Amino acid sequence: MSAAPAKTPRWLLLPAKLGTFIMLMAKQVGGLSILAGKVLRRLTPGQIDRHELFRNMNRMGVRSVPIIAATAAFTGGIMVIQAAPFVEQVQATSFIGWAATFTTIRELGPLLIGLIFNGRVGANNTAELGTMMVTDQIDALRALAIDPIAYLVVPRCLAMVSMMVLLCVIGDAVAIGGAMLTADMLLDIDPRVFWASAMERLEPWDFWVGLVKSGLFGIMIALTSCYYGLQTRGGAPGVGRSVNASVVAAAAGIFIMDYLSTFILD
Amino acid sequence: MLPPLIRLENIHKGFGTPILEGVDVDVPESCIYALIGMGAVGKSVLLKIVAGLIEPEQGKVFIHGEDITVMNHLELAEVRKKIGMLFQNYALFDKNVYENIAFPLRRLFDLSEEEIQERVAERLERVALPGTEERIPQSMSGGQKKRIGVARATIAKPPIVLYDEPTAGLDPVTSQKIYDLVREEQRATGATVMVISSDVAGVLTIADRVGMLHAGKLVFDGTADEAKTSTLPEVRQFVHGLLEGPL
Repeated sequence: MSAAPAKTPRWLLLPAKLGTFIMLMAKQVGGLSILAGKVLRRLTPGQIDRHELFRNMNRMGVRSVPIIAATAAFTGGIMVIQAAPFVEQVQATSFIGWAATFTTIRELGPLLIGLIFNGRVGANNTAELGTMMVTDQIDALRALAIDPIAYLVVPRCLAMVSMMVLLCVIGDAVAIGGAMLTADMLLDIDPRVFWASAMERLEPWDFWVGLVKSGLFGIMIALTSCYYGLQTRGGAPGVGRSVNASVVAAAAGIFIMDYLSTFILD
Repeated sequence: MLPPLIRLENIHKGFGTPILEGVDVDVPESCIYALIGMGAVGKSVLLKIVAGLIEPEQGKVFIHGEDITVMNHLELAEVRKKIGMLFQNYALFDKNVYENIAFPLRRLFDLSEEEIQERVAERLERVALPGTEERIPQSMSGGQKKRIGVARATIAKPPIVLYDEPTAGLDPVTSQKIYDLVREEQRATGATVMVISSDVAGVLTIADRVGMLHAGKLVFDGTADEAKTSTLPEVRQFVHGLLEGPL
């Protein structure tokens, strides 16, 4: 008769849990890095499926414009509403245009659009790839001698990164419009004054920082959503678990990347 | 005697617990080889190993005399072009019937749209589903989806066709129609076919050779008639559906 396994002493539970967590993180980061390497290796013009690329750009990007525009418009407005009491108190109306556009272009635009994009496109992408995994469609592709990374993952990654940057440009413009309109209505600041305030102090670099950030967030969402989708096991509940893990991991990744890129780019 | 077109040597594979523990299988050319056995015995795993979709932990898989376990993904893709596969749960794409069947042709061959249309129409005629090109597979019955799967697996005229539980979840009449289709297809093309099935009575009507997996090993390999008259307790019990026995 074999002896029962020894119970882990209580004082070892915390380090054991910490070790498990670190191993899990290492596995996820390793998996994401391997997937990134596979995608990079297939980024040669002849290998990219243009039909899949344009199809994904349409459904991921074009169809996201309404929700991104709505979110951006309200975000711009909210920034002015929040700043209004302070601006009125110190009579700093000539700064409101700059403050709103600077914050939108460099920080809030890419961040909020990234989170919305993650919730809409990233989650959908994980669910789609996860469903394909649990219904053997990915194996069917491989059985047909078609590389799933080249056929499915590469076009999706390219579409997500490029559309994230474009949506950020659109979102920034709409957010600034929303801020301008709110400033006019609430603070009676003429849109021309708002615009002049923004243009006087903004630099091209501010715009580029926003674009770089949105591109980085796009890469994070693309890789995370594809990775968790392709890791899906265990039928419909497995798809749900993957979507949840993907959205949480990408959101956390967006904030970490935002912190690092802000630190480096500033 | 011709060398086997598919040869599996000492295949080991497990997922936490061992499933296949030294399986040897020889599938002669232009033959229908039925692999039978209880549920969760590793039949689907073995079929996926033949298709190069799962890597064995140990052992060799020879297709046309070449060991696919040592191939890189590009070499493996070339071998897979010679294989058609029907999956247990259809694995049809989120496209209409026409696009599903045309998919391998579009991706692997440089054919005109007219040629593709012609071949898809011929396949649909063959699987008794003419005129269904525009339908969405998700709205079709299980038997129809299996037939579309057969059409997709065979449209590129592969010399090897693998069928994973082609009649699972189907009524007896539809099941027999699917088996007849598999047999007719094989006769028409001369392909080497591996079928795995838990439906012994049905699969024995079309099999040239039969292998039975049990407890991680191939415990029987012979003709369909030999399977029916085998005195091996596992084979006898499984083939005749007896309650008494080692299974």
